[in-house]
Amino acid sequence: MQTSIRRYVPFWLSLAVGIALWEVAGRSTSAAFMVPFSATLVRLWELIVAGEFLGQLAESAKLFFTGFVLALVVGIPLGMLLARVRALRIGIEPYLMLIYATPLVALIPFILSMMGFGFAPKVLVVFLFAVFPVLYNTVEGARSIKPEMIEVAHSFRSGEWALWREVMLPYTLPYTMTGVRQAIGRALVGMVAAEFFLSSTGLGQLIMGASQNFDTGGVFASIFVIGLIGVGLMRVGLMIERHFARWRQ
Amino acid sequence: MADAAITATVPAARAAPAARGVLVPRLITGLALLLIWEVAVRLLAPAYVAKPTTVLMVAPHVLTDPVFLRATGNTLAAVAEGLAVALVFGTVIGLLMGRSAALEKAIRHYVNGFYAMPMIVVLPLFSLWFGYSASTRIATIIFAAIFSIIVNVADGARSVPREFLEVARSFRSSRLRMMLNIVLPSSMPYLLAGFRLAAGRALIGAVVAEFFISVGGLGYYILYNSRSYHHNEAFVGVLLLAAFGVSFEVLVQAATRRFLPWYRRDEKAD
Repeated sequence: MQTSIRRYVPFWLSLAVGIALWEVAGRSTSAAFMVPFSATLVRLWELIVAGEFLGQLAESAKLFFTGFVLALVVGIPLGMLLARVRALRIGIEPYLMLIYATPLVALIPFILSMMGFGFAPKVLVVFLFAVFPVLYNTVEGARSIKPEMIEVAHSFRSGEWALWREVMLPYTLPYTMTGVRQAIGRALVGMVAAEFFLSSTGLGQLIMGASQNFDTGGVFASIFVIGLIGVGLMRVGLMIERHFARWRQ
Repeated sequence: MADAAITATVPAARAAPAARGVLVPRLITGLALLLIWEVAVRLLAPAYVAKPTTVLMVAPHVLTDPVFLRATGNTLAAVAEGLAVALVFGTVIGLLMGRSAALEKAIRHYVNGFYAMPMIVVLPLFSLWFGYSASTRIATIIFAAIFSIIVNVADGARSVPREFLEVARSFRSSRLRMMLNIVLPSSMPYLLAGFRLAAGRALIGAVVAEFFISVGGLGYYILYNSRSYHHNEAFVGVLLLAAFGVSFEVLVQAATRRFLPWYRRDEKAD
């Protein structure tokens, strides 16, 4: 207990210094430019009390999870299929890499003019951002399986199910989970991009609205919350990844 | 020398037939994908939606259009400028952070926090700070790019073999020289990996900033043309962005192989 407290001293110290710096910087500049930490928290509390904030947060969460779950439901089985069927994988690999390296935000204007302002186009954006890391990393994992291992499994007359359980899943799953972690981060970017550029809802709208009203406190409060969500989700992603990659270490 | 020759020829000899066996299925898949796209759009979508044949038809015209070329030049210049700033400052901060435990403890959580933040949320704030101008785009690019460089360079600086530094210290070399001549070269592979991620993020940052503040560039060209239902023209822009994304990737991989053949590592991904 004592040691764990001591271990976290630098963390709390750096947090306190950061907040102090933010406070000082906010107080010594104009309120239109930067808002001190205390004022940011006050503004955040006002937004929560006004009831606007939690509703927008729920709206964003709905978008994030719909798109993200859809990406997993499509990405993991499709990735596994590509992992198992070698011809398919070899054919599709370079195109996956191409899309993976393309800034997909550039597709948002097309989605807007084809699908309009509903919920579906926004889900599509989150889905597109999240699905390719899952696919790409699963295929990468499949590539790490030596063909000899599958041959050995076959020569021991292992069935399809045993092959999956003993070879395919243990080898590809850690990579897939790296993809899932990346997908979490990208889905978050997709969510904000969709809320900025398609129909404006959720936390994205909160930031945009505050910025258009020159409500710097509101902008800081929303960015602060999204930053915390980003850090939290990144933690979750790392935990998932480590859980599945344990045997590799 | 002889060893190097052997290890270099063996994979090459194995790769040659493999490459031939791979090319045909890849071409067939590519053609199949294009065909599916073409047929799907013809059957299901309105006429303005981009499809391979029409994109191909407008491509020569777009690629010679001065408006398009100027937009591309604008975006690329901004990305290059932002990346250069992010590279210099990111490397310096990363090196210091990796070699100084105190600094590392002080700023680690902030660097990781900003890195985990979806970079585009800062756009409305930057547009308040810098106005609806090209400075906002540069600031967004730097913000998007710098943290992946800091994180990776710090990782690299931390993993410099201890013996290198001990030898340098026993020869009484100064801290600055140790940084420049030992820590920096030894962190190079990490730096390149970080740069690769940073380049992708910088490209996204540039496009998103152009959408947001309507400053001239490739992203704005895409936005403008797709709004006026010139999807084929806009799609040429997307293809060019994809080409930039891929060429960054290929360049960094080639540079790693060419200049740092001694190094192999799974990069820290975003």
